[in-house]
Amino acid sequence: MENKRHRSAGHIFSTVSIHVVLIIFSILIIYPLLYVIGSAFSPSNNLQGIGINPFSQAPTLAQFTKLFENTSYKLWYTNTLIIAVMVSSATLIITSTAAYIFSRFKFMLRKQMMIAFLVFQIFPSFVGMVAIYVLLLRIGGLDTKWGLALVYIASNIPYNTWLVKSYMDSIPKSFDEAARIDGATNFTAFRRIILPIARPILTFLLITSFLGPWMDFIIPRMVLRSDKQFTLALGLFQLIDGKSANNYTMFAAGALLVAVPFVVLFLIGQKSLLTALGAAGVKE
Amino acid sequence: MDANLRKKALISGCLWMGLGHILYLKQQVKGALYALAELAVLFFIAFEQTAEGLALNFNGLIVKGVRGFITLGVFNPDLPVRQRDHSIFLMIDGLICFVILLLLIVLFVLSIRSICAITAHYKATGGELPGNKAFVRSMSEKAFPSIGLSPLVILLLFFVVLPILFSFFLAFTNYSYPDHIPPANKVDWVGFKNFVDLFGGGQSMWTTALGRVLLWTLVWALLSTACVYFCGMFVAFSLLNRNIRIAPFFRGLFILPYAVPSIISLMVWSNLLNGTFGPLNAMLKQIGIIKTNIPWLTDPSMAKFSMIFVNTWTGFPYHMLMVTSILTSISPDIFEAASIDGASNWKRNRFITIPMVLRQTMPLIIMSFTYNVNNFGAAYFLFMGAGASRGPSAADTVSTNANAVDIVVSWIYKLTLQNPQKFQYAAVLAVLVFVVLTPFAIWNYTRTKSYKESDF
Repeated sequence: MENKRHRSAGHIFSTVSIHVVLIIFSILIIYPLLYVIGSAFSPSNNLQGIGINPFSQAPTLAQFTKLFENTSYKLWYTNTLIIAVMVSSATLIITSTAAYIFSRFKFMLRKQMMIAFLVFQIFPSFVGMVAIYVLLLRIGGLDTKWGLALVYIASNIPYNTWLVKSYMDSIPKSFDEAARIDGATNFTAFRRIILPIARPILTFLLITSFLGPWMDFIIPRMVLRSDKQFTLALGLFQLIDGKSANNYTMFAAGALLVAVPFVVLFLIGQKSLLTALGAAGVKE
Repeated sequence: MDANLRKKALISGCLWMGLGHILYLKQQVKGALYALAELAVLFFIAFEQTAEGLALNFNGLIVKGVRGFITLGVFNPDLPVRQRDHSIFLMIDGLICFVILLLLIVLFVLSIRSICAITAHYKATGGELPGNKAFVRSMSEKAFPSIGLSPLVILLLFFVVLPILFSFFLAFTNYSYPDHIPPANKVDWVGFKNFVDLFGGGQSMWTTALGRVLLWTLVWALLSTACVYFCGMFVAFSLLNRNIRIAPFFRGLFILPYAVPSIISLMVWSNLLNGTFGPLNAMLKQIGIIKTNIPWLTDPSMAKFSMIFVNTWTGFPYHMLMVTSILTSISPDIFEAASIDGASNWKRNRFITIPMVLRQTMPLIIMSFTYNVNNFGAAYFLFMGAGASRGPSAADTVSTNANAVDIVVSWIYKLTLQNPQKFQYAAVLAVLVFVVLTPFAIWNYTRTKSYKESDF
């Protein structure tokens, strides 16, 4: 009896304390996000003007107007979009074909290549940036979107080939062998049989390679020189680098326009993304 | 039956690649392809394209490339800067030549192996040679894999392998500002000098900087991984508690930092934590907790704390999701047991569930560790507003480019892109990162299902 009462008291205590901790967590998470939203609609230009409560002043679209009129924000956005489309479609085609070949064919140096991929993907892609710079200079790819896309595509290959290959390994070989016996060529078997089954991992691949260019900073910083070619990460960085006292709210408006589509897409695709993440991350 | 067929084919195949196939093995097509490859390479060795036309002087593109790689050019102060030898271009051209020569060697080995295979077949079948038809047939079978892989191989060779080789060799040169920046000046090979400089040698300043950066990188990687992981795990366990009525609401809220691009979160936080104008200090002052501003980003220890805090903010949702999905996938019993409710549950969690989840998520933890070692963003974007060195300075920051919160990757970035540029040290650091992280990544992969199940 005594014991039971004691336990239920402890029970209530632990439930209450967990709630308290979770609420503190929630405040810590929501405050910066609300702060950005508030700043984006604020009439003041700098941090000082906003103070603690970003919603204290009447909301206005002034920052967005300024962002579109005074900076190349629209160009940055379209540049990033174009690069992201180029990278994700090329990555999808090259990686899925390669993964299929590695999964289904036996050929010379196959094992060595897979091990090499494993080693390549450890290297952060910017360690060879001087060499990449010189290579792009030689082929006229500096300060161009395709030059940057080429670097991204190449650096996407090793890890993603592994990822897709291990998924394709789990598709029974009898599926495509049956198709081949029926007279299908390798390519038809790949397109008609394997690709549809591998759709979840390919969707994941498409999403992650599409999102990469939006967040990356180092490689565009090196490849892109002119404001007109900038990606969003570079543009936003330039907007507040050392000048956050003057441009902070404009930056907030720009950041909001990137973050909102991301959050919406994420919440829509949450379930399939998580399944794929689970498949990619934890394998035992 | 020709008893000496194998010997004759091998000798002629060594004299000129493919000759054995043409003369003795009745595979003229295959042999001709091999022979052409050798011819092309020899052509670029023997002939030089001069103003008067081709000259047979054994000074072709490949010879020039290899020589350029060895000498890194000749310093010629009389020429205008634009016409002087560019050591870095020469080095990369040389590497491309080495790659071509390596491909030729691989091809040669292949041709010899092919001779052995054909003659073995000849012996086994009592005089039967596969001939050209067999070659064409086998090529059409291999067409799909070779065509499918060729764009990948070319891209990887030039944009991944070549840069890695390049930065490896760069570590043995003196490519640096101000005295060795081509084309105005020449770059030279200096052997292990850069390694000596960094790992305890003449310039003690660099050794101090390296020691500081390495120590902080290690501490940072361990602490930040532990924080995101345990924070994520705590939240995941808490949200499984049956007494938390609005768990889905909390979960949805906690995912938000993961959905926002991390570069944006970091830039926002760098403003929130701004020592002079930031709202965090303003708030603390208003509540009355502090009287003077806290230098969140400009004091070395505070900056380190902020870095870990903000990284936890951006990183824990991913781990929360992972731990939740593991808890739900293991088994319903554990799912039930994992919820934190009451002291007895805590004990069970501590001794049974948590160790189990830890074991299951080991690859995830290792992945997160290597990710944080290379987490450039956390060490750079958070400190955008914090002075010229982007972060709290150390005594040697002006010369070494490394501030008090730099980790190895951000230091590599600064050595490459900020004055005074020291490419050679950046390359040494890249080699170091590679040597240290490779075993982790390989170990992690050998544990995965795909590695264990596949025959590779």
